[in-house]
Amino acid sequence: MATSQPPLRFVSHHNLLYRLVLATLTGRTVHISQIRSNSPTNPGLAPHEISFLRLLEAVTNGSQMEISYTGTILVYRPGLITGSSSGTGASGGMINYELPAGCTRGLSYYLIPLCLLAPFSKAPMKVLFTGPGVITSSTPTGDMSVDSVRTAILPLYNSFGIFNNIELRILRRSNPGPNGRGGGGEVQFVFGHQVRLPKTLHLMNPGRIKRIRGVAYSVGVTGSNNARMIETARGILNPLSPDTYVFSDVASAPLVPAPEKNNPSAKKKIGLGFGLSLVAESSTGCLYSADVASPPSGGQPPEDIGKQCAYQLLETISKGGCVTPAAATTMLTLMSMGSEDVGRLQIGKDVIADPTLILLARDLAQFGAPGWGIRDASGEHEQSDVIVSVVGRGIGNVGRKVA
Amino acid sequence: MIGKRKRDTAVKPADPVEPSSPPEDNAQDVFRKYFEAQFKPLDLPSVQTADDEESEDLSEEDELVSESEWSGLDDEGDKEPTVQVVEHKNARVDPDDIMDKKARKAFMNAKPPSSSSSTSKPATITKDASDSDDDKAGDAENLKQDLALQRLLRESHLLESASDLAPTGKNRLKALDLRMQAIGAKTSLYKQEKMPSSHRRGIKAKAATKEEKRRREAKENGIILEKPAPKASKSSSGRRERGIGGPTIGKFAHGALNLAKRDLEAMQGPKRRPGKGGRGGRGGRGGRGGKSRGGSRTA
Repeated sequence: MATSQPPLRFVSHHNLLYRLVLATLTGRTVHISQIRSNSPTNPGLAPHEISFLRLLEAVTNGSQMEISYTGTILVYRPGLITGSSSGTGASGGMINYELPAGCTRGLSYYLIPLCLLAPFSKAPMKVLFTGPGVITSSTPTGDMSVDSVRTAILPLYNSFGIFNNIELRILRRSNPGPNGRGGGGEVQFVFGHQVRLPKTLHLMNPGRIKRIRGVAYSVGVTGSNNARMIETARGILNPLSPDTYVFSDVASAPLVPAPEKNNPSAKKKIGLGFGLSLVAESSTGCLYSADVASPPSGGQPPEDIGKQCAYQLLETISKGGCVTPAAATTMLTLMSMGSEDVGRLQIGKDVIADPTLILLARDLAQFGAPGWGIRDASGEHEQSDVIVSVVGRGIGNVGRKVA
Repeated sequence: MIGKRKRDTAVKPADPVEPSSPPEDNAQDVFRKYFEAQFKPLDLPSVQTADDEESEDLSEEDELVSESEWSGLDDEGDKEPTVQVVEHKNARVDPDDIMDKKARKAFMNAKPPSSSSSTSKPATITKDASDSDDDKAGDAENLKQDLALQRLLRESHLLESASDLAPTGKNRLKALDLRMQAIGAKTSLYKQEKMPSSHRRGIKAKAATKEEKRRREAKENGIILEKPAPKASKSSSGRRERGIGGPTIGKFAHGALNLAKRDLEAMQGPKRRPGKGGRGGRGGRGGRGGKSRGGSRTA
């Protein structure tokens, strides 16, 4: 997919993942420079960014990456998104992707961009995330839990006409390990619905919250933590929404190999902790999620986690609009990749004022997408919401075009 | 959105209603507040009218009371009624286990939860809960009748002239026997095991002629019947030694394994035509022979 067009030039490490995703989707070469060049201690690409580059390489065919000696400059020539077609590193139709031990980011950091690539892949995307760096819970670095990805991000693809054969199976749970590094989780991701173009979306009515669901998880600690989190969260949420259910999942701690001198096959427990993921669904199908997990240093009672999570959910809902800050990037990117038609999405002002979203808009413009039209919402949310009109690029799935 | 409305109410100058309203710790009041913020303040119909009526009632009562020269309630007539309701109840609702299992299965699987599937669930469950008693009674009745019908159909050949649905005497025993067979008895209780050999031979001969006649008639009329059951051949398993560690081929006698000609042939596999392949030497032939033997065994 090497194009004759000159590479798009970007600066800094901000929004790096989405730049790479957009480059892959549009087939443009990108040249990103000054990646943390100001940092005297850790210049260049961070380990988790390198991990994502490796993941990109695994799911595409013919991608080229050049990283400068210090890691501050990256040139990425995207290939074709092949998914897990046989013969491209997939064993048994499943790409086995291993995350290194020092990983500080939750798995959702990799999953959400991967979900954006998956509908435009040539073959179904099946990835098994393993290794000593897979953290399924939410993390202090601000990543949501894998449960929330499944319950709050993946259902959004439904409104773009992408719904078949999507699975996110948590085979083993893990919270972040000591100092927030590493985990031992195992997650299987299947995205089997590939489309030529996502449908145009018009979502302009947030509706009312009709249901709250959630998952409380304990890894390697007693399950009573779950009950305590659930009780507190329900105490706050039940008076507001009677249809509130939080399910409990108790898992044993994952074991990762920790070889010693006299015992090379030794293993250690990692990723102990607990957390809560809540998802509120409105009558029009909008989803609002909240995620809190116990900090890796511990010392926080489950009641606090439950309370924080419930309040976080209420705060997310209070920001208004049809999407949460966590899901807005996904929605807007998919809308930009849709057919050449105007899609509309109501977004809370607090949500769209987010720097990452503004950066996404600028990046999209640089990738050649038409600018967003923004006007005030009508109706009851006139004060708090805006309606963003996004024109699709109509490129869609290059692999499908050939097939 | 909820928060937004909350904020609006905060901005609004305090309603005349608000101070009089009880502390808003229950859902009703929260919702009422939202409603007021959304539309216009309710003029507190429930509480105040109740107050008025009660005060009227009280005034009437007062008259009665004054007649009976008891003026204990006079002071309190103007105030709010002093009925205090104390509810000791957690905000948390008890987890209902009926919902739990199904909903858990629907929610905690690998698929992203779809809104449509889970909406139907609570509705059906509430319906179940509401008229479960009726349903259960009806189900039990239906099940009973169904069982009776099935039995009647199966055992109707025992009943002569539709005498009775519950058979008695000999018929009852026969019916019981049929039921036992239906639930897994190997043979009938009334199957005769011991009899003179002439009787048994007679029975067998009769069965054979019956079967032969049936087949013949079917053939004459052009009806295709099932294939006759294969005759049990006892001869093959007659003289094989079955001890553990015994030879799989041949016969072990007097400290030597005797191979019959048949055994040798079975070992060598089918004869090959001479002059067909013939290229390889001995080794090649041996190898191919081994292969073909394997093939013949599986086939």
